[in-house]
Amino acid sequence: MVNFTVDEIRGMMDKKRNIRNMSVIAHVDHGKSTLTDSLVSKAGIIAGARAGETRFTDTRKDEQDRCITIKSTAISMFFELEEKDLVFITNPDQREKSEKGFLINLIDSPGHVDFSSEVTAALRVTDGALVVVDCVSGVCVQTETVLRQAIAERIKPILFMNKMDRALLELQLEAEELYQTFQRIVENVNVIIATYNDDGGPMGEVRVDPSKGSVGFGSGLHGWAFTLKQFSEMYADKFKIDLVKLMNRLWGENFFNPQTKKWSKQKDDDNKRSFCMYVLDPIYKVFDAIMKFKKEEIDDLLKKIGVTIKHEDSDKDGKALLKVVMRSWLPAGEALLQMIAIHLPSPVVAQKYRMEMLYEGPHDDEAAIGIKSCDPEAPLMMYVSKMVPTSDKGRFYAFGRVFSGKVVTGQKARIMGPNFTPGKKEDLYEKTIQRTILMMGRYVEAIEDVPSGNICGLVGVDQFLVKTGTITTFKNAHNMKVMKFSVSPVVRVAVEPKNPADLPKLVEGLKRLAKSDPMVQCINEESGEHIVAGAGELHLEICLKDLEEDHACIPIKKSDPVVSYRETVAEESDQLCLSKSPNKHNRLFMKAQPMPDGLPEDIDEGRVNPRDDFKTRARYLTEKYEYDVTEARKIWCFGPEGTGPNILVDCSKGVQYLNEIKDSVVAGFQWAAKEGVMAEENLRGVRFNIYDVTLHTDAIHRGGGQIIPTTRRCLYACLLTAQPRLMEPVYLCEIQCPEVAVGGIYGVLNRRRGHVFEESQVAGTPMFIVKAYLPVNESFGFTADLRSNTGGQAFPQCVFDHWQVLPGDPCEPQSKPYNVVQETRKRKGLKEGLPDLTQYLDKL
Amino acid sequence: MGNFTTEDKICITREITVNKTEGYDDIITNFDIKETCKWIERKKFAKVCLQFPDDLLEVSCKVYKEIKDRIEVDLYIMGDTSYASCCIDSVAAMHVQANGVVHYGHKCFSKTDIPVYMVLPKEKLDFDAAINTLKKIYDSDDNMKLCLFYGAEFEHCNENITRKWFQKYPKSYICHIELEDKPERFLGRIIKDVQNVEYPIQALKDCICIYLGSRGQTIFNYTISIPATKWYLLNPSSSQLEQLDETIWFKRRRFLIEKCKDANIIGILICKLSGKQTKDIISRMKELCKVNGKKSYIVSVGKPNSAKLANFPEIDIYVMIACPENDLYSSRDFYRPIVFPYELEIALNSNREPFPTYHVTDYDELLPGRRHYGDIKPIQEIADVSLITGRIREAKVNHLDGSSQELAEQQNWALESIGKTLQDRSWKGLEQKLGETEVKKVEEGRKGIALQYSNEQE
Repeated sequence: MVNFTVDEIRGMMDKKRNIRNMSVIAHVDHGKSTLTDSLVSKAGIIAGARAGETRFTDTRKDEQDRCITIKSTAISMFFELEEKDLVFITNPDQREKSEKGFLINLIDSPGHVDFSSEVTAALRVTDGALVVVDCVSGVCVQTETVLRQAIAERIKPILFMNKMDRALLELQLEAEELYQTFQRIVENVNVIIATYNDDGGPMGEVRVDPSKGSVGFGSGLHGWAFTLKQFSEMYADKFKIDLVKLMNRLWGENFFNPQTKKWSKQKDDDNKRSFCMYVLDPIYKVFDAIMKFKKEEIDDLLKKIGVTIKHEDSDKDGKALLKVVMRSWLPAGEALLQMIAIHLPSPVVAQKYRMEMLYEGPHDDEAAIGIKSCDPEAPLMMYVSKMVPTSDKGRFYAFGRVFSGKVVTGQKARIMGPNFTPGKKEDLYEKTIQRTILMMGRYVEAIEDVPSGNICGLVGVDQFLVKTGTITTFKNAHNMKVMKFSVSPVVRVAVEPKNPADLPKLVEGLKRLAKSDPMVQCINEESGEHIVAGAGELHLEICLKDLEEDHACIPIKKSDPVVSYRETVAEESDQLCLSKSPNKHNRLFMKAQPMPDGLPEDIDEGRVNPRDDFKTRARYLTEKYEYDVTEARKIWCFGPEGTGPNILVDCSKGVQYLNEIKDSVVAGFQWAAKEGVMAEENLRGVRFNIYDVTLHTDAIHRGGGQIIPTTRRCLYACLLTAQPRLMEPVYLCEIQCPEVAVGGIYGVLNRRRGHVFEESQVAGTPMFIVKAYLPVNESFGFTADLRSNTGGQAFPQCVFDHWQVLPGDPCEPQSKPYNVVQETRKRKGLKEGLPDLTQYLDKL
Repeated sequence: MGNFTTEDKICITREITVNKTEGYDDIITNFDIKETCKWIERKKFAKVCLQFPDDLLEVSCKVYKEIKDRIEVDLYIMGDTSYASCCIDSVAAMHVQANGVVHYGHKCFSKTDIPVYMVLPKEKLDFDAAINTLKKIYDSDDNMKLCLFYGAEFEHCNENITRKWFQKYPKSYICHIELEDKPERFLGRIIKDVQNVEYPIQALKDCICIYLGSRGQTIFNYTISIPATKWYLLNPSSSQLEQLDETIWFKRRRFLIEKCKDANIIGILICKLSGKQTKDIISRMKELCKVNGKKSYIVSVGKPNSAKLANFPEIDIYVMIACPENDLYSSRDFYRPIVFPYELEIALNSNREPFPTYHVTDYDELLPGRRHYGDIKPIQEIADVSLITGRIREAKVNHLDGSSQELAEQQNWALESIGKTLQDRSWKGLEQKLGETEVKKVEEGRKGIALQYSNEQE
């Protein structure tokens, strides 16, 4: 039975110091959902015996079938902490006086890299993260990625070592070995934390420490877990030693000699590591006794650890009995709850330092102050991080976090999309919030209102948001910052209905799909094709399945996956390109050249961006890329879309009326940067220089009509004379496998134009990690190919890393880029063949 | 003088290409001189214009002379039409207050408000050879129905074609050129079977259509507007049969229809003058924009080209009112795309089927009382995701039933969005910039004319 009511939860929402918003993050298959079950069962939502098998937060059928989490799922739970544990909470902002209850809003997130956008969305609305690490495989790629993201968002981590049952039963590790494994994982995690966090920063020190109780150990599958606090409590009375002191003694280089009863800092023949002796030994004994069916020993042990077996479990033995015993001895829910309540920050604490990362507006306006103080009486500020499908097809719950004020059913609020700018009306809607709801895994509960510091869903605003947005009642509010994803949608398929008459349903379905996933892009291209773009093959597969079964509900024809290319140049234009306007009275003289390595990425990441102060930007470009400072100050624009990784630089001197035609030249540049000359793909990494301009003296003869098309022609001529090239996206691919399989990996990668740049053994395990670059275009079917070539032992994780020039000249027939250009042109309905320079280049 | 005229050297060295057209030996039969005279006499016209396309201008004088020799009438030769030579330039004809127009060359068969005599071009045809090519694929019409379209240049052997066609394929249809305005007439043609019974174009739904003639805008318009099972082009000069498929084109048009929904400012581009339908369709387009809260501007710039239209960079999309034979619709050289009136209708009139499988090229059909007329109903959804921009697009419909305060807000909105495009410009006009511009000595500027300034090397 659920041991709390919605009213109780609603009551807790007002006690903002007793709220913990947290996400569970980890590498794929490290056991997040399974571990989450322990908490869910403690809350009474599922039966204790079934915890670890239910995977309650995997709400979709395919998630259950594949045993993989696809969507992040939120659940709100209510717990009470015992008085003895409450004393561990010392910060007055971490707990309301005389309140034992805690409201935990937990989000279980997927571990597969293809779904890491879901993790990003989950992190945004939470303040703490439970990082789960499989103690057998250790810290993996995705562990690092999500941890890095968490720290960048100022999310405080705690660590949980999962799958101890495997370490004990399968690997049969010795106690000391196991300690070393734990120690190494803690160290690895702390190294990552130290790399990305500034200890002197506003979040303070965030490293995890077993002796402080911020690291848990156990098995989610078997439902048991502990921190050093649990064990210290058992021994504190016996040793007559302070609990905190004992916790410190139970970890690290602390050895105890049972004969002399002396503690020591060094290992010698007679003493033993305290962690092994007091923590691991009892566990080993229980395991040993039960798994080897030592009947008497079991009874003896059970008495010692204070566990009585219930009647219905009395005839169990072996693994089943082990589960029951361990679960009653060291219940996972209890350990986790204590870790969460004691070590993760309350919204009051977290929002103080998160505000400046979250809010785009001035840090002293009403909204900012409301967020900073987590004030339910301040104006409403809520960030919607994702859309959750409802049972009503095509409608969504807008899921997010209230950072300030109170969101109330029936309230009129301003809904601001990501393109909203203060003072303008674009992407702004004033609508009524029809209902506020509480997300409970696969169920929802209606609720009257939700105050600041809580996570909830809204009904009735989904129509006005595509994926994310800010909801506020403050008229002068700015947006909450848009989330930055660690993956990009680089794999694309074109979809069309099997029956052409179903096209309207497909289009409607695509619109719904676009909302339902934080990352997927559904695009109607210039050619009229409908494209679905995702982070990887698995992500696309799931999206297309959803599209077919839930959103469009029609049979769909899909093309083979394709990648989108970018057009670039390899050299500077071999001549100064001149194009004349249609009336022949205006001339543009320009050249194209490739950007230095790293600059396009700097622009992508926003380190160089159009909103910078032009002097600061020029200094940066001069220092890092040796650009001429006067030229670097005269960057007219970025493109395409005003922000892309191509620039237009005014290198001319003393040209009359130049400022008058700037808008037209910029418009032409945006046009050409969006539709390159080779295959009408976006440009990337091209710098265009304007060297001279001749203009007619009468304004009417140098209007947009003369300049815009001419600019485009001139830019095309520049591209064609500067060795045009194509760029393709490349994955960073990490493959984990045993040593025997490494050979097979090389074979597969070689066939697919991939190359290995790092190969290392995971310390303390027989596993190897191979890191390689693999063109996205060659990655289709890679996982399956790899499995068949390594006997299913290698498991790859691919994430988009960079753009790379496709070797070969697209102007040379029969070269690979040439074929790509021709295929693309054909698909887009463009004239086949190569663009003709004489069409764009004029002579004096 | 050198400053005002082109340099002599350039004039002398400039090469002019002359297109040699084949001689028209038999002007009288080729240009229907006798029939034309009869028509003028019957109608008792005193003033008649002869409209020639550019490539026929060289024979215009001979034709003029032949007619003048036969009957007493005031004749004017019209060349260089305002928009397209396939349409009747009734405005030019009205300038001389002509009673009628005789039109030569390629035609689009669109309506006019002035009496017209059409002289169709004539070309030789070996119909037997053509039909033999077809026979290789479709031996008889037992299983399927065929329909033959032929180019206007073969109208002169109309009877011959009809006879032979029905000999071979008696159950099939043929599509004749029809100059009179009948309800079943479609793009200047009408479908008949062997008994001379007329059919509407819907009859072709399960047909295989064959167009006899050369590739061009005419056949293209048929393939997109008649939803037949298959379309073939039978080229009599090369005796080649080619299947036509315009799915890629349709996809592109659907994209443009979506683009119309995204557009805030729509330019109504006028590329046709004759006929009162033109006025009707313009007001219909304006109405469509208005009910959907989009701003529209009428743009009339003569024959459009990319330079002229790029002078209005604020306009998001153009809807062109022009004759269906115009090929600018599919051009990709324009800064902003151009759509058909029908496409704007689909985008902004939710009464219409949003994803049609055929096209209506002739805007005349969209007007009240015509085949494709539909009442206007603005877009219903209040907010919708645009798959082009990935943003929410809101239908900014004016709700006049709101309170007075809301009305005021609506007006502000309108003002704001007008100002927005101007605000985004970096150069807004002649700013004085007093004190900001540094004082410089007078420098000598350029000399010469734009084609070749004197300081530029050759």
